[in-house]
Amino acid sequence: MSQQSGTPGTSSVMPLKPLKTVGHPTPRIDAVERVTGKATYSRDVQLPGMLYASVLRSPHPHARIRSVDVSKAKALPGVKAVLTHENCTVVWGAGAVAGGVQYNDEIKRITKQRRYAFNNPVRFVGDPVAAVAAVNRHVAEEALRLIAIEYDVLEFVLDPEDALKPGAVQIWPEGNLSLNDRNEAHPTGVKRGDVEAGFRSADHVFEDRYTTAFVHNAQMEPRSAVAFWEGDRLTVYTPTGGIANCRHDIARDLGIPDEKVRVICRYMGGNFGNKNQNQDADLIAAMLAKEAGAPVKLEMSRKEDFIGMHGRWPTIQYYKVGVTNDGTLTAIQLRGYSGMGPYRKNSGAMAGVELYRCPNVETVIHPVYTNKTVSGNFRGPQYPQGFFGIQSMMDDVAYKMKMDPVDFVLKNMLGPSTEMSFTNYTLEECIRRGAEAFDWKRRWRPQPGSDPGPIKHGAGMSFMAFRSALGRSNAVVQVDGKGRYTLFVGVTDVGAGAKTTMGLIAAEELGVPLSQVEVVWGDTDRCPYSVGESGSRTTIMTGYAVIEAARDLKRQIAEKGMPKDRDVLVASASPNPTVEGGKTRSSFGAHFVEAEVDTELGHARISKYVAVHDSGRLINPLTATSQMKGAAVMGIGMALHEDLVYDRRTGQPLTAGYYGARIPTHRDAPEIEVMFIENDDGYGPYGAKSIGEAGKILSPAAIGNAVYNAIGRRMKDLPITRDKILGALA
Amino acid sequence: MKNKPKPKGKISRRQFLESTGTALVVTTAVPALHGQAPVDVAARTPADQPASVPRTVIRLTVNGTAQRVEVEDRWTVAELLRDHLGLIGTKIGCDRGECGACTVLLDGKPVYSCSNLAVWMDGRSIETVEGLARNGQLSLLQHAFIEHDAPQCGYCTSGQLMAATALLRTNPHPTSEEARAAMTGNLCRCANYNRYVEAVVAVGAARPRSSTGRSGKGDGR
Repeated sequence: MSQQSGTPGTSSVMPLKPLKTVGHPTPRIDAVERVTGKATYSRDVQLPGMLYASVLRSPHPHARIRSVDVSKAKALPGVKAVLTHENCTVVWGAGAVAGGVQYNDEIKRITKQRRYAFNNPVRFVGDPVAAVAAVNRHVAEEALRLIAIEYDVLEFVLDPEDALKPGAVQIWPEGNLSLNDRNEAHPTGVKRGDVEAGFRSADHVFEDRYTTAFVHNAQMEPRSAVAFWEGDRLTVYTPTGGIANCRHDIARDLGIPDEKVRVICRYMGGNFGNKNQNQDADLIAAMLAKEAGAPVKLEMSRKEDFIGMHGRWPTIQYYKVGVTNDGTLTAIQLRGYSGMGPYRKNSGAMAGVELYRCPNVETVIHPVYTNKTVSGNFRGPQYPQGFFGIQSMMDDVAYKMKMDPVDFVLKNMLGPSTEMSFTNYTLEECIRRGAEAFDWKRRWRPQPGSDPGPIKHGAGMSFMAFRSALGRSNAVVQVDGKGRYTLFVGVTDVGAGAKTTMGLIAAEELGVPLSQVEVVWGDTDRCPYSVGESGSRTTIMTGYAVIEAARDLKRQIAEKGMPKDRDVLVASASPNPTVEGGKTRSSFGAHFVEAEVDTELGHARISKYVAVHDSGRLINPLTATSQMKGAAVMGIGMALHEDLVYDRRTGQPLTAGYYGARIPTHRDAPEIEVMFIENDDGYGPYGAKSIGEAGKILSPAAIGNAVYNAIGRRMKDLPITRDKILGALA
Repeated sequence: MKNKPKPKGKISRRQFLESTGTALVVTTAVPALHGQAPVDVAARTPADQPASVPRTVIRLTVNGTAQRVEVEDRWTVAELLRDHLGLIGTKIGCDRGECGACTVLLDGKPVYSCSNLAVWMDGRSIETVEGLARNGQLSLLQHAFIEHDAPQCGYCTSGQLMAATALLRTNPHPTSEEARAAMTGNLCRCANYNRYVEAVVAVGAARPRSSTGRSGKGDGR
């Protein structure tokens, strides 16, 4: 690697002042519950007189329902309620929203292409058609078989590019290009400079096409909801990453005030995106409970969860890149297509181009409707797929320019400039430390595919900057006459360890041991609003509110003394901090991967993996490291295994489920070596920055690049499966 | 339901119990039983369900306690444990033998409880996650899971614990490769596989080695 740097003198690793409680590896405060089976997940809730719900789903990718006959189902002993589009017209606001803009009531109000709890026409295999509540799950399932539905089967389209061709079946009257937040059928994107002029000034122009597959969040706890009414007040137990947003969504969709809804999530079997809101399961359970006058539990099967919910949007990415003889970028153009399924849940964006310093950039992204399962946010919504495309493309450009890919990245990557400054910047440091720990010079093959084989090794890398923005959240902390501290935070614990993180921050700021702080979480009746666990922001935003609340409590204690007997002192905080001077606050990272490819069998495995991250100060290094390790392995699944394959003739999903979609197992997981560059940039709680999504973003690109280095064939379509490797080598 | 006429050619649970007395011998070949209330447990089953559901009385041991239970023939073991015995620590991730979240020990061997019927459990012994701690003392494996941060969301953890407990009984000092092989049927979508393996290997490493290397009784305790 040369010493040439794109950003001389700007690397800033700020010194860390050691803290007493924060920053030390700490087991989770709820760890005992998790290893003894006592942790209660939504699916574990049992209530007296509780009914079981089951959902009938469309077997067709696109069809109009001509008639529904539920009379036989209703007559089955034990059936208490049946819902279809005829007697339930609830709109699932978060299920389809103009432009894919979340948490915005106004946009949900103007959304034209609405998604109901039960739709007619049905637009994908898995679209809910009817739901039954019965005395047990077997009766509920039997009742579904007695529902007679006549469909007029319609034409369907599965591929986003096909969907935009003239003559394609129109999934919505406005066409298959999804409407934006102004209900206009326009692609999204950015434009800077003049790409045509950039290509003219280039010595070389390269073009290529990359694709990524639909991969399902596949969290271990299938979607479930338990709902019951007490008068006009609704309680829902549901796996949500954001109890407050979920409550608001349920209330808005049902047309009742927020305070009439209580959402509880004690434990949650994984999040990974698009759970900081309500789900159709919540609405269906609530409506069945109302109809039946009894508590209702809806448990999705694994297949229903796979086809009925959402996963990462699949993409098609066309790149055109201009570069001068010395390896300087002159222009980047991206034309992209994202398959959104038939409802627009999220943006459909593709990230990654912004990480290159280039004067002329144009991206045009088309979020397109198809008759496949709905796409939505999944851990780093637009990042891993966009990063795979652009960082594979740029890796290829580096080889064509006869440059070491690391040198090419260091030369062209985003850095502080007159237009953009950072609260701190360690991207270069991440890359240099990673290259050293990985032993890049030894593992990288200057001539790709040059190992004699049949088992060949190669090295690849990828890099990132990822938002760590500040924002508004809330916390309440109190101390009672016995000296017990209680922290109320509206977090759930999706697996990242938020309760423990919040407890550590409170203990640090209050100057008491963690064991003296009780954390109350996961219940809208007990906790103040929190941003919800999405966007890797709970630690930053709610954590900062915890600091402010604790500081206020300490002030009160200093003024009034500790409370006595039955008295309590209570402090709350709702801070909305901002970064000074328009600076950007980012976490940074670089992943270095060695792939081992059996060129006779086509099998690729990861033989070394080094992940370097600057996520600011680590509140809990134990859980932070677990997050990075797990995220990287999840990324290996996206890179090498996972796909929801459809039959092109029938529109049926063929690989719904863990086995079919090839979710990574113990045997697919290499040792992930994680290194952190810790920092305190003066913002957030003690300088903490984003973690949760960061580890997932980089693996597919780094793995694709490593496979290229091993076999000398550029793998342009995820997942990089055996058939594709053997095909490329044939 | 009490006065409901009984279907011809079939005997009621009451008749069956009367005919066999207390020396109850139950096999899966027993004719369909139609009962009102379940025998000992299963009291949570609502009373107004359809009557034509075949039921069988079984005797089994769960976490060391002998139980006599009337089960519906269609119940899986996972369903029996979770819905009728209140043992919710056993999780359902797929209900079709793909993920291992529901792993329990059946006569000491790890099995997917979603893929076994409750009626097959007659005379068998089941261990679940609730049985790992003894007298309020966590097993060494449970301690190691905590120290190594093995559970992230925790939903697959019970299954990982049961698979690893079975491994440690037969192989007190597993290598990481042996741990991966033994637990490969237990998926973790948090993909915290490194931590799970670390924890299992640590239990073996902390345990004194006997002269033969593998003869120690290893139950992760």
